[in-house]
Amino acid sequence: MEKVYVALAAALAVGLSAIATAWAQSKIGAAGAGTLAEKPELSGTVIILVAIPETMVILGFVVAVTILNM
Amino acid sequence: MIARMVKVEIIGPNEHLLETLDLLRELGVFQIEPDITSFVTAGDEEKIRSLNLDEKTVAERIFFEDLKARIDELSACLPQVEVRESYLDPGSVLDSVAATVQRHGVTCREWCRKREALRKELAELSGSAVFLGALEPLLARMGQKSGLDFIGVTIKDPAALDELMRALSRLTEGKFEILTVKAEDGTLIGLITLEQGLADKVRRTLGSQHVPELTFPAALADLPFPEKIRQLRARIAEVNGEIAAIDRELTQFALRWGAIYQGVRRWLAERLALHANMAYLHQTGMCFFIHGWTPGADVTRLRGELGGKFGGAVIVQEKQILEQDLDLVPVTLRNPPYFRPFELFARLLPLPRYASLDPTPFIAICFPLFFGMILGDAGYGLVLMVLALVVAQVCRKRDLVRDAAKILFISSCYTILFGIFYGECFGELGARLLGMEGAFIVERRKAIIPMLYFALSVGMAHITLGLVLGFVTAVKRKTGREAVYKMVSVAVMGCLVVLFLSLTDILPRLLTRPLTLALLVLIPVLFFAGGVLAPLELLKTIGNIVSYARIMAIGLASVLLARVANRFAGMTGNIAVGVLLAVVFHTVNIVLGVFSPTIHALRLHYVEFYSKFVVPGGRKFEPLRKERTTGK
Repeated sequence: MEKVYVALAAALAVGLSAIATAWAQSKIGAAGAGTLAEKPELSGTVIILVAIPETMVILGFVVAVTILNM
Repeated sequence: MIARMVKVEIIGPNEHLLETLDLLRELGVFQIEPDITSFVTAGDEEKIRSLNLDEKTVAERIFFEDLKARIDELSACLPQVEVRESYLDPGSVLDSVAATVQRHGVTCREWCRKREALRKELAELSGSAVFLGALEPLLARMGQKSGLDFIGVTIKDPAALDELMRALSRLTEGKFEILTVKAEDGTLIGLITLEQGLADKVRRTLGSQHVPELTFPAALADLPFPEKIRQLRARIAEVNGEIAAIDRELTQFALRWGAIYQGVRRWLAERLALHANMAYLHQTGMCFFIHGWTPGADVTRLRGELGGKFGGAVIVQEKQILEQDLDLVPVTLRNPPYFRPFELFARLLPLPRYASLDPTPFIAICFPLFFGMILGDAGYGLVLMVLALVVAQVCRKRDLVRDAAKILFISSCYTILFGIFYGECFGELGARLLGMEGAFIVERRKAIIPMLYFALSVGMAHITLGLVLGFVTAVKRKTGREAVYKMVSVAVMGCLVVLFLSLTDILPRLLTRPLTLALLVLIPVLFFAGGVLAPLELLKTIGNIVSYARIMAIGLASVLLARVANRFAGMTGNIAVGVLLAVVFHTVNIVLGVFSPTIHALRLHYVEFYSKFVVPGGRKFEPLRKERTTGK
């Protein structure tokens, strides 16, 4: 039973952070596409903004791996 | 790196002003500074005034602008054709050109107006021709019966056809015939045949019911239907011929006069650019002053060219760059050939300020390293290397693509290197087949926690480098407090890491007490140097280091995808299908393998690394420069 909880915890860590990242990126991506249509010179800034939320899922993944290796 | 700039003042007699400006534009190494506050010493402000243009110069400028506008207007009428190079000196033929451009302008405008009217007529006739093409076979079926009239209608909704037939039946008591056909553009066309006496009544009813009757040009209105078609076709051919004749005239005109007009236009644009630059110049009663910036490497050339041309009458003086000038100094990047392609990444963000550091060399070293660490597959690296070589060869004239290909080539070298370290070639399968198992340093798929520590160590080293560079930048910008803050941050980060290692028994526990004491001393200094938000900044820095875990995470995703590709291929049980599937999966993985490491390696630089030392907001170096022209 303990293994099930561990697996569930790891799944939640990576799954919930993935949903959060996806939601944030959808909003930033849409706004970024609009920005680039008007100011293509801001592509560098837009790349950064879109990539920022990915930290959440990566940290979620690290937490999941740590849980599974405990 | 950021090129050293020199603050320069060019002084010469007023009569050499235009020639000096012309030479500066030719050399392309000098940027005018409109704000001369820091160039003029206190007490001299009243002696120097903005350049006042005399009446002759103003009149000349108006004449040039007017002539250029006329030539532009004329050129707009002409087709784009390759013309020979004109050997006439534009300056000597200005008056003749000014006289002829007026006459030529009238002629060409008249041709264009006539061609426009013909094109409009052609568009109208072509619209009718679409319907006629559909109606012609129907008319042939009706034959040349006398006493009959024809009405052509367009039916927008096919469902309305029944209703139309009921209405026609009621109006003509069943004495009509309707044939329908689809036109080329998909519209449903109907041809109603009925007795001549009923035609007007039906037309009125159709008009009141908003059923559009096919309309033809007014000139054809009174002709019988078959005759309309014949006349329409003849007119279309005639209009096409007239348009072609005008086009021929315009092309011949462009070939004959284009070279002269283009040569004069270029000369006028150069002259007007010189006049526009005069607004930023200054003078005394006898001398002109041009203030600005030039790269340190070009000062000797600038001095030599000006001295040589004017026999020492125009001199170049170097001035000291003051502290208040630092934010005004324009920035240009000059890096060694290996680093130069990576300026592409630096240019995606605003330029760094003059008294800061150019991040290009650091991104040139670290970006391919991170890319290789993430992708780390010898097979994928080889594919990318071949791709980079092909792209660089095919697009060698396009600077942007060539730079991108060079970056990809360098990154693919690191990918191969890390592929050998990880023992991966198209996943672990290729490595096994090639006997690369012996080359294992670490097997990423299994050593997840060691890879995590490795990624975090890379992060720690990269962020520490960023903080040290931040210290150097702060010293260069003479902001002592920030310099102290950066160095204390490095010390605190070092203490925290060693403390963590000693608490986890990797280093001796004995170190914990002195480290705790050191932190107790350093943290108040951190508050003093960085303000109340310093602890938050410290937390942010720790978060930045943790963010490097993505090197492990994305790398692991890449190796697992390669494994899936090999597994799928193996499960098919058929060699041909298996190979095909493996190729498809690995291709997808390579595409992901280019985008994902690029985006994440860039992000690690832009967000985590740059924030430690790059001071954005630099002014781009935009020297006076002549327009590059082709011989068109």
